[in-house]
Amino acid sequence: MPDEPQGGPAPEPTPEATSPLVSLPTTKVARAARFAKTGLKVGANYVKHYARRSVGAESSSADLHAANAAELYGALSEMKGSVLKVAQMLAMEKNLLPPAYAEQFAQAQYQTPPLSGPLVVKAFRDAFGKSPFELFDEFEPQARQAASIGQVHRARRNGLPLAVKVQYPGVADSIRSDIRMVKPVALRVLGLDEAQVRPYLEEVETRLLEETDYALELRRGQEIAARCRHMPHLQFPHYHAELSAARILTMDWLPGLHLKEFLATAPSQAVRNQLGQALWDFYTYQIHTLRQVHADPHPGNFLLQATDGGTVGVLDFGCVKEIPAAFQQRFLALLVPGILDDEARLEKLLTELEVLRSADAPAQRNLYLRTIKASLALVAQPFWQATFDFGDAAYLQQLYALGDELMQDPELRRQREPRGSRHFIYLNRTYVGLYALLTELGAQVDTGIPGPQAAQA
Amino acid sequence: MEKDRIKQAYLDYVLRKNAPPASVFKLTQKLGLPEAEFYRHYASFDAIDREIWADFGREARERATAEPVWEQYSAREKLLGFYFTLLEILKHNRSYALGSLRRSLHRMPGLTPRVLDDFRQGFEAFVGDLLREARRTEEVASRPVVQEQYPRAFWQQALFVLGYFAKDDSLNFERTDAAVEKAVRLSFDLVGPNTLDSALDLARFLFQSRR
Repeated sequence: MPDEPQGGPAPEPTPEATSPLVSLPTTKVARAARFAKTGLKVGANYVKHYARRSVGAESSSADLHAANAAELYGALSEMKGSVLKVAQMLAMEKNLLPPAYAEQFAQAQYQTPPLSGPLVVKAFRDAFGKSPFELFDEFEPQARQAASIGQVHRARRNGLPLAVKVQYPGVADSIRSDIRMVKPVALRVLGLDEAQVRPYLEEVETRLLEETDYALELRRGQEIAARCRHMPHLQFPHYHAELSAARILTMDWLPGLHLKEFLATAPSQAVRNQLGQALWDFYTYQIHTLRQVHADPHPGNFLLQATDGGTVGVLDFGCVKEIPAAFQQRFLALLVPGILDDEARLEKLLTELEVLRSADAPAQRNLYLRTIKASLALVAQPFWQATFDFGDAAYLQQLYALGDELMQDPELRRQREPRGSRHFIYLNRTYVGLYALLTELGAQVDTGIPGPQAAQA
Repeated sequence: MEKDRIKQAYLDYVLRKNAPPASVFKLTQKLGLPEAEFYRHYASFDAIDREIWADFGREARERATAEPVWEQYSAREKLLGFYFTLLEILKHNRSYALGSLRRSLHRMPGLTPRVLDDFRQGFEAFVGDLLREARRTEEVASRPVVQEQYPRAFWQQALFVLGYFAKDDSLNFERTDAAVEKAVRLSFDLVGPNTLDSALDLARFLFQSRR
C-alpha cells in the first residue's frame, strides 16, 4: 500500500481536525497540531523514499513503514485515551496493516507516560474521600502497567494482592473529538477510504465509550466470570465493588505471565495445547452460548501459567461485544462446513449480512462473492476440521498474505461503499486476536464446533 | 472568636446573595455587634475575602504535606499534590470559590486580582522553598539571576490553573485535573536541566573565549 499512496505522496495536515464546534480550543488545537505534524513527517518520509528511488538507490519499503509507524506511534502514544485505543485496534487488525505498523502500534500497549502520584491520590480522594494509602494496607505509587485509558497499580489488603486500575481524568470527555481527529490522518496514512469506515465508527465509538465505564466493566466481568465458572483451566479475577468507583476498578491480582514472557520460559507442547484449548473453548462458549464476547483478545489481557497443566487468567472486560441473535445465527452459518459449495445459501446469507445488495451489478456481485469465498476458505479452515494446528506458521502467513492481497486489489479498492454488518467489526477483531494468540502459542486445538443446536441456546 | 463569627456571617451572606453586604453596619447589626468590633479585625470586606483565600492556600499546603508519601515525592509531584489538594478544597467551597474567581478574574489575564494577594504570598514562599530543595537534588537547574523570578512565573501558572478551574464545565472538574498535570509537567521541564542550559553554556564559553 505505501508504495502507491493514493492522492500523491504527501498526506497533508488535516483541516477537519480544527472544526470550530468544540468547546475546548486549546487542547483540541494542540492535539490537532500534533497530528498535523505527524502528517507532515509521514509526508516527508514518502518524499525521501521517492527521492531515493528516483536516483536508483535501494530504499526498502520496510524502512519506510518503520519510519512512518514510529512517527505515528510517537504521536499516538503521546495522546492518551481513545486515540491510543484506535491504534491498538488497528494493531490487532494485522491483516490490514503492514507488519511494521502493527509492531509499533502493539508497543503502544505497554509504553505510555504514567499518571503522576498526586493525581492517583486525587482520584481516590474524589471517589472514596481517602487516599489509597489509607484505603489499602499497601499501595505501590508506581504503576505496574499502563493500560490504554489508565494504569494498573498493585495493592494489598487483608493479605490479598490486588490490581487497581485508575483511569485518566477526562477520558470519556475527549473520545469523540479524538476519533474525529485520528480518523482523517489514520485513513490517509493507512490508505483507507473514509466512506468504507464511516458507518462503523459509531460502533467503535460506542465500544470506546463503554470502555471508560468502569461500573459496566465490573458488572460484565462478574457476569461473564460467573457464567464461565464451569469451564476448566480458566481463571477470572474477583472484582471488589466496594473498592471501585467510576474511575477506579479493584480486582484480585492474578498470578501468571504475559504471553511473551511466558513463552520465554519454554513451556511444553502439552501446556501450550491446554492453554490454547482453554482460550478456544472460552471464545466458542461466549459466541455460541452467551452471545456476549470479550472482544479485546490482545496478549496484554491474558495471564498464562503452567499450573494444572496450563491455566489462563482473563483480564479486562472493558470491551465486550453483545451479539444480536439474528446476526449470530447468520455469522455461525457462514462457518458451517460445505458453505462454499452451496452458492445459493451463501448468497442469501451474505445478503442478510449486508455484504451483498440486490441492486448490485453482476460484476460487482461476483467481485464480492469471490473475495468472501477466498477469505472464508482460509479464515474458516479451523472450523472445518476436528483439530487444528495453529503452530503451522504458514497458516497465519497465508492469512496476512490474503489481507495484503485484498488491500492491493485495485477493483476492491475502487469500491467506495461500506459493506457488511457493523457487528462484524468486533467479532472479526476477536477472531483475528484469538488466531494470533493461538498461533504464537503454537497450540493444537480441538476445534470440533458444538453443533448448530448448541447455537440455539 | 468574634473574628470567626464575622467571617462566617460574611461568607454566608456572600453565598446567599452572591455579593458582599451593602455595608459593614448592616452585617454587624445582624450579628448584634458594634460596628467597631468589625474594624478591630478587618479593614474592609475585601480583607475577609483575602483571608479566606489565604486560608484555602494554607489548608491545601498543610493537608498536602500531611500525606504519608509526601516525603517521597519529587518537587514536581509535591507541586501537583498541592494543586490537587487545593482544587479539592475549592470544590468543597465551590460556590464561594467560583463566584469569587469569576467576579475578580474577568479583567486582564496575568494580573493578580487583589483578593488573591495574601494567597499569593503564601504560594510564592511555598514554591520558593520547593525549588530551593529541588536545586539541591538537581531536579531543577541552578540558574543565577533568572531563578529569582521563578516563584513569579509559577504564580502565573497558579493563576492559569485557577482561571481554568473557574471556566471548567467538565464533570467533577476532570479537565482541570488534566490541565494541572500538563501545566506542571511543562513548568518542570522548563526549570529542569534542559536545552537552555546547554545554550547558555555555549554562549558563556564563546563570550569568555573572545577575551
